[in-house]
Order: sequence, then structure tokens, then C-alpha cells
Amino acid sequence: MSKNALEGLRVLDLTQVWAGPTCTKILGDLGAEIIKIESGRRMDISRGGTTANSGAGLYPDGNAGDEPWNTSGLYTDRNRSKISACLDLTHPKGVEVLKKLVEKSDVVIESFRSGVMERFGLSYEDLKLIRKDIIMVSLASQGGSGPERSYGSFGATLEQTAGIASFTGYLGGDPRTSGTFLPDPMVAFLAIGIVLSAIEQRRTTGKGTFVDLSQREVTTGVVGEMVMDYTMNGRKWGPNGNRDNVFAPQGVYKCYGDDSWIAISVRTDDEWNTFSEMLNLSSEQVNTFSTVSQRFAQHDELDRLITQWSQDKDAHEVMHALQMVGIPAGVSLTGEQILADEHLNDREFWEEVDHPMVGRRPFLSRPFKFSKHPASTRSHAPLLGAHTDYVLRDIAGLSDEEITELSDLGITSNDPTAFGSTAF
Amino acid sequence: MSLLDKPFSEDLPLSGVKVLDISQGVAGPYAGKLLGGMGADVISVEPPIHGDYARLIPPFFEDDPHIEKSGLFLYLNTDKRSITLDLSSEQSQSVIKPLIEWADIIIENYAPDTLENLGLGYKDIEKISSKTSLVSITDFGQSGPYKDYQGTNLISLALGGLLQITGDVDKEPLKVGGRPAEYIAGLSAFSGAMVALYAQRASGEGQHVDVSMVEAIATAQMYSGLNYAYLGENRVRANDIAPMYQVSNGHVGVMYRQDNWDDFCDMIGRPEMKDDERFIDNVARRENIIELNQIVSEWMIKQDKTELYHLAQGQRMPFGYICDAEDLISSEQYIHRGYFVEIDHPVCGKLLYPGHSFFWDDEKLPMERAPLLGEHNESVYEALGFSKEEVSALTEKGVI
Repeated sequence: MSKNALEGLRVLDLTQVWAGPTCTKILGDLGAEIIKIESGRRMDISRGGTTANSGAGLYPDGNAGDEPWNTSGLYTDRNRSKISACLDLTHPKGVEVLKKLVEKSDVVIESFRSGVMERFGLSYEDLKLIRKDIIMVSLASQGGSGPERSYGSFGATLEQTAGIASFTGYLGGDPRTSGTFLPDPMVAFLAIGIVLSAIEQRRTTGKGTFVDLSQREVTTGVVGEMVMDYTMNGRKWGPNGNRDNVFAPQGVYKCYGDDSWIAISVRTDDEWNTFSEMLNLSSEQVNTFSTVSQRFAQHDELDRLITQWSQDKDAHEVMHALQMVGIPAGVSLTGEQILADEHLNDREFWEEVDHPMVGRRPFLSRPFKFSKHPASTRSHAPLLGAHTDYVLRDIAGLSDEEITELSDLGITSNDPTAFGSTAF
Repeated sequence: MSLLDKPFSEDLPLSGVKVLDISQGVAGPYAGKLLGGMGADVISVEPPIHGDYARLIPPFFEDDPHIEKSGLFLYLNTDKRSITLDLSSEQSQSVIKPLIEWADIIIENYAPDTLENLGLGYKDIEKISSKTSLVSITDFGQSGPYKDYQGTNLISLALGGLLQITGDVDKEPLKVGGRPAEYIAGLSAFSGAMVALYAQRASGEGQHVDVSMVEAIATAQMYSGLNYAYLGENRVRANDIAPMYQVSNGHVGVMYRQDNWDDFCDMIGRPEMKDDERFIDNVARRENIIELNQIVSEWMIKQDKTELYHLAQGQRMPFGYICDAEDLISSEQYIHRGYFVEIDHPVCGKLLYPGHSFFWDDEKLPMERAPLLGEHNESVYEALGFSKEEVSALTEKGVI
């Protein structure tokens, strides 16, 4: 097989938490060299604090070990296929070294609060002086301008401020957020293409670029039709449970077993006719549900009839039986089931990774596959500062004396306990 | 530059990149929209008569169902040209081949094997134009035991593992509003297309990119898979990641963080809670979330959502407030950045649309309205060498 898709691309990664690290992780899987800059003073907060009780919470088998910052699941998940160098950017000498790395990099990507890079003396204007065609991608919560530019967020609060939460929720209930931080992977998946668009532009024009992206705006971008209904018709959307707004019925129905559920979507009258036979409805009942507007009007009753039918059945058997007759159905998979799922495993979705402190565990891979450049995990998530020496010597070109001096000053320290706990 | 290329004056990031978008619905068109927004020349190929099926999906302008009035379609198809062509007709082959040769990237979201059966699978495309990449978006991907299963947004959320961890533990699992699986697959397809283009610039060769909606969600869910891989336990549905509270005029969301805990206690007028063992750290707060919520709710109900949001953010507490469409349109932040853009359309007139989510070198890239069905038939077919008479004949036969 030919070389990796993104061979030769070098990315200086100043991001932390989720969106930025997921973007660079996938770029790394595809063959780009990702240099993650952290410091003992300022670790990626998804490493958790210096003690296990600080909220990152996901440690292997509940055991944080002596260095919780190297075992946190939130960190290890999002930071494979990268190397880690420690550099304290609050020290001018740290910034000086970072500038040497900028000189050798194609892309700088960062997700600090707006204004932090300027304070480090690392604004795009500063970086351009070092490397004229540098590409800088900034993934700030609210973007780099506007009255809320310095505001912080997490994926959950972005779901709120970007509009998704307003129409997520049980029928007639309060707004809700998802069970994950959905805006983060959204931003990550978009940012991969943004970085590569800037590279394509550099290829054709020789010019670098500064991209000032707003995570909140990206998130509103995925609810376009909700916004359009308001700008077209003045209508606001509220929570509608699991229902669709075009076809009916659709829902998530109880199956046999603890917390076992099947999702079913009936998109057409034909699908409904097939399904109603399986439900053993009387001809009288069938007639009252024959059109989609009738089914919408009596959705509660349909939900009751479907639950009556599904509740003593195995969820996987229901899925296969419905799919055999062309009706969209899917088991609401638990964590255990998703890891064991035959379809995902047949497609090698999970990638087992050996990590010296975490052991061998399966991690999610990517949302796409490439026929000529298969991507894969290239290395486990790095221990804090595992590659500082390599990065300083081989990439920044520092001498042994310079490296020792930085170490003596604590600028390259990879011991977060020396700086106190950075709790989440 | 060939006759087929759209004349462009702006120097946009992807000026000169050519995209043939034969997809319909949400995921594929969203990827095409993102590429077009970056300056790629995107030709959308729609079925004759009704066009892309998204044209038939509400919301409709003034609630009038009409193929030029779907808000979903109008939003997802900015920065494209539209031609009509029935890909299942034999005569379409002579039209589609030069378009394939023209394209760097083709986006499609038919069920697996559909294009193969039309003689337009990746192997066929590779023979016609080896530089061209095919980006395929499906519910389950191009392989695997569920390849031919039927999917919807909800089914992808279920089989991707996100459904089970969203909602309340004593109720059924809950979907996320809108069409998140389709949109996230669209974002992935955009990036997948760019990876293929990057590789093509080095090797000269295109390839087949396989995007699965289920896998887009399985990649996005993170917590469910990781929780089991690390702890051997299934994550339960809970509302404790970022609890939301009712305020006087809506809802506000709170992220409890150790850094902010003391400030938070002061803000709600309960300084004694700083040292309360029940709430001393994230683990304790999670365990005692019901008691904590009771205390906090009493204070919250008197607050105003935007005032509280700004007050908390001013003290570095990453609060959110629940924005509906009206809140988004009136957000000072969005107004300042010009996020919503007014776009004029010959049928629907001037409307606000969500715009680009970024500035590119301090500029907002332009955004052009979605095309009318077949709006560019004449110019594109002429550039392909068809005479007006030939175009009329093909139109009469229902090919275009």
C-alpha cells in the first residue's frame, strides 16, 4: 500500500480538551506529524488534575495510577498519533522555542480563549514574521471577535447557546443536551477540511492563512433548517421527543431485558402497511392509521401498540426482523454492545491500542475510510512530555546546552505536581 | 480553464477545485455546500421534475410546499450550480462522462451498489478519470453485514451508541434534535473529500472515500464506548454533565468546575457551600446532584437568562443559556460577527441564513443562494457541446 495520505504535513498542536485534539488526532492517523505542545504548568485539562479525584474521572478500571495525567481516558482517546513536548509558554524562552517550531511547521492550530495567543506574543501577525506562509487555525469558542470573544464553553454549553438544546428533549418537556459533547466532534470533523483547504490554497497561491473559527457558529450550522423555519415563517421549534417531522411513526421502544430499546422509523405508507401486519393490528385499526397525517394525529396510540408488541422481544431480533422487510430499525446500543457490534467490527471500526500505563484497550477510529490510504492509530497517546528532547533537538535544532538550560529553568518540566493541581 | 468552469473573480481557498455533487438530502449536499463555500465549483446533478428530494422536505417558505421553497434545501445548497439529469436513463451516460472527467471530487449518497448498477461505481469512474475521487455517504458504509440495511437519522444515533446515553435513566433513550447524524456525516464527507484532494495533489490519483453515518455518530459519541473500554460499565443516561436550570425567562446551563466552585457559591449567595462536604468536588457534586439542584434551582428561578449568562461568563464560569432561533438571531455575538447573512432568492426573496462559521484572513467568504432546479442546464449543457435542439430533445425524453 502506498504512503500515508497526509505524509509530509507537520502540525503544531496547541489545542486542548476535545475539538482541537480530535481534529489533530485524525490528521495524525492519516500520516501528518502532530507535535502537541503542553507543559507541566498547563496540561491539557482532559489529562485531569494531578490527583485522581479531580473530575476527568475515566481511569483504566478506575485506577488512576501514580500519574493520573497519563492515564485519563479522555486524554488517551483524543491524543493518539501525536508526539508530546513540554514547553511553558508563560516564559519568554518557551515562546522563543515555540517560534523555532513554527518555522518548521505547516500549520499551527490552537483553541485557547481568544486573546491568549496574543498575550504569548504568538498572534498570526507574530507567526507570519517567522514563517510567511504559515497557516494558523484558531478554534475559539465564540471566535476571535465580538463582545463574547473571551467567553469559555464546553460542548454541552455550546449545544445550549447554538440552538440544538432548544429542540432536544422529551415531548412537552424541558430542553436537553446530548449524552456527549456533540459540538466538539462536529468542530473537529469540519476543522480537518478547513486545515486542508488552507493547504490547497497555499499550494495554488503560495500564501498562508489565518482562520478564525467559532465553535458556536459551527454548531448552529448543523441546525440550518431550524433557523430557516424561523426566518421564513417566524416559527420556533421545541422538543419533540423521538418523533420525526415528516413521517410517522418513529420512536424508541422497550424490548425484553434491562434498559433494552429498539429505534424504529416508518418512512412511507408501504413500510407502515408491512409493519402493521407484523403488529397484528385489526383491519379496523389499520384503516384508522392509513395516512401519515392519521398516524401523526394518533402517534401516542401507535407508540402504545408498538411497545405492546416489542416489549417482550429481543431488541436485536426485532431489528433484524424489521430490516429483513425493509423497515429502518436499530438497537439502541450500550457501550458494551457497540464495542461488540458485528457490523462495526467487520468494518474494523475499533482500534486496539497498547498504552504503557493503560494497557490494551479499544478506541474509536474515524468517520471515513480511504481506499488507497488506509488510516490507523500510529502511536498511543503520549505520556506528558515524552518527546520533548526529540522535538527540541531534532525539530527546533537546539543544542544540548540550550536544552539543559530550558530544563533547569523548569520550562520543559513534565512534572505537573511541581506546579500544583490543575483541576478540571 | 474549460468552458464548463464557472467564471470566478474572487481568489477563494478552493478556487479551481471541481466538484460534481450527485447526492441528495442532507449529508452529501452539506458536504457540497461546504466545498462550494470554500470556493470550489460545485455542479449539483438533480433528478428531473422534482429535483433533490430535500426540495420536498419542510420547512417551506410561508408553509407553501414547493420545490423552490424548502428551507432545508435552500440552506444546504448555497454556492452550487444545478443541472437536471436522470442518471438511470441510458442517454445520461454521454452527459455524465465528461462531467466525471471534469471533476476532482464526486459526492454521492445512494445505497451501496446503486452506482455500480448504473455503471458509475468507483471502478468505472477510475477508468473514466483516474484523478477523480468518489466520496460515498451511506447509513452503514460500503461493506459489512448491515450494508444493505435501511437507516434514518434516528437509526444512526441508535447504532452509533449516542441514543442510549441521551435522556433520562427512567425514560426511553432520546434523540438529539434535528438531523445530527446526517450533518455530522456531511462534515466528515467534506473533510474526507479534502484528504482525498490532498493525496491526489501528491500522487495524481483519486480514490474512493467511504463515509458511514453510523460511524460518524460512533466516532462522535465517545463517552459510551470509552466508559465501557475503561471501566467495563455501561454509561447511564443522566442529566449531570451540564445541568440546566429554569430561570425567569428560559433555561440556563451550568458546568460545575472546581476552578469556579467558590465563585459560584458566592454568586448564588451561599458562601457556606464552599466547604460543604456534599459538594466539595466533582465526584461529590455528581453523587449529590439532586440536593445541589434543589438549592441552585431556588436561586435560578429569579434570574434572567442573558444577564446571568454574561454575569457568569464575566467571572470565567462557562455557562450557557438555551437559545431558540429568535435568541440566535438576536445574539449580540452573532450580530457582531455577521454570522447570519441575508441572501436574496428569486422565489423566496431576502431571508437570513446561517453563514460561514469562520473568518478567512479576516474576511467572510461570499455565499450565493441555492440554484433553482435545472437553473444552469443551458450553460452547462452548452459547455458540454450539446446544441439547443439536443437539449430540448433530451428534456422531452425526460433525461434532463
